[in-house]
Amino acid sequence: MPRYGFVIDLKRCYGCYSCQVSCKAANFTPRGIDWAQCVPAETGSFPTALRQMLPLVCQQCKEPACKEVCPTGATTQDENGIVLVDKNLCMGCKACIMACPYGARQTVGDWQTYFPDAEGELDPYEAYAKKQWEKKNGYGMATKCDYCKDRVAEGRKPACVESCPAKARTFGDLEDPESEVSMLIRREYGFQLNPEFGTDPACFYLPPR
Amino acid sequence: MQLKAQTKWGWMIAAYLFLAGLGAGAYVTGVIADFAGAEWASVSKIGVALGFPCVLLGTAFLIADLGTPANFWRAYRKPGTSWVARGTIIISVFMVVGFIHIGLWLWPFGVLEDAAGARQFIGVVGAIFAFGTMMYTGILLGANRPIAFWSTALVPVLFLVSALSTGIMAVMLIATIDGAAHSGPISTLVRIDVVLLVLEIVVVAMYLQATHRVPESRAAARLVLAGSVAPLFWLGVALLGLAVPLALELLGYYVLDGSSATTVIASISGIIGGLCLRQVVLSGGIQAPLRAGRFEFAIPNT
Repeated sequence: MPRYGFVIDLKRCYGCYSCQVSCKAANFTPRGIDWAQCVPAETGSFPTALRQMLPLVCQQCKEPACKEVCPTGATTQDENGIVLVDKNLCMGCKACIMACPYGARQTVGDWQTYFPDAEGELDPYEAYAKKQWEKKNGYGMATKCDYCKDRVAEGRKPACVESCPAKARTFGDLEDPESEVSMLIRREYGFQLNPEFGTDPACFYLPPR
Repeated sequence: MQLKAQTKWGWMIAAYLFLAGLGAGAYVTGVIADFAGAEWASVSKIGVALGFPCVLLGTAFLIADLGTPANFWRAYRKPGTSWVARGTIIISVFMVVGFIHIGLWLWPFGVLEDAAGARQFIGVVGAIFAFGTMMYTGILLGANRPIAFWSTALVPVLFLVSALSTGIMAVMLIATIDGAAHSGPISTLVRIDVVLLVLEIVVVAMYLQATHRVPESRAAARLVLAGSVAPLFWLGVALLGLAVPLALELLGYYVLDGSSATTVIASISGIIGGLCLRQVVLSGGIQAPLRAGRFEFAIPNT
């Protein structure tokens, strides 16, 4: 069985937020939900100050902290190592949101329109998005990135990988030592975020400059 | 880098942690008082009568805070797999025992009035789960590894001491309003509460001292002691919760030789302080930053 994983090259990322926006377009997430996020940080001081972006997705941990604290059994891992939330079992206790070290889990109380000034009914495109969102996700429940599981099943890449103009993201099988992700991790010193939490993420980063 | 505190668990969770602690603390007070002889009978009844309703009200806050309150029963699906699930069982058993205790002793049936042995047996069973409830509210927060301010062994201890103290104060308050003289049982409760308050001051000091290890808990300590949560901590916890009750209880006991007014004010003040304490701990929940090379990234949206 494959274990799907990401390699994100921090040297290449220049913080255009394409991943964040294409994720929204692909997964129809409402306002306030960003399964893919870009977080900026700075270090040093003038004249040696540096700025770096950190693109985040769900880390699809092997030992997920969110699964450990889930009281209802709504959180499961599928055969590809993807952590999933069953909307028919989640009750919205938010324990997983607190326990996740990577901010991957988010919840929204109701559909928040992207056009709050527009009056009357939702724009037809937004109404379609709302319908698609409600098929897979519930309101008041935990939601999270699933590495675009349905697109991957069709043989495509996750939306954020496809849209990345800097080609900072690579998607593949971590179990296969010949795959591009495995080779990148070995050759370019791939590391996991905050390993001290013992979650063994499937998302690896290549060091910034 | 600015680390921000979590906002997802707000005042409703604080009210739940507080009421569950207060109810369980009052119940334990009542059960112990039941072993202490006839003059403690009214104190014992008040303690047992406060247990179930307070915890029930707290649970109502907890359920109201869920994303989908109607689905709260799903917490029973996987008992023992997580701390929320274990706590649900502990609190449920406590509420069932507390309800039976009230139903068979106080109202509507009085069958336990003359059966001291059976009453005390139910009380001991209930008290075990009451201790579980008091500790669990702290363990629940401690299960979040990325939040170093919560993930320490002192939070359950802090909540246990605060729960016992607010429980005793609730019993003293109702008993004094009910007209109990400030002698015998009430004066003993005041002395026990003085010890608990001193203990709580020590635990709060140790708890804040232990935040020095990692940047996120240092940021939490700064937020609590000097940042936006500081007014709530210094006025709510330090003044109302600890200093005022301790001073008034010592004043009432040693100087005024048993004054109902000081007991009432001290109790109300201390109970408000217990609620503020839970809110302060929740407001200090800052997640660990993500580290890559020399950079530290604050997690958004938590």
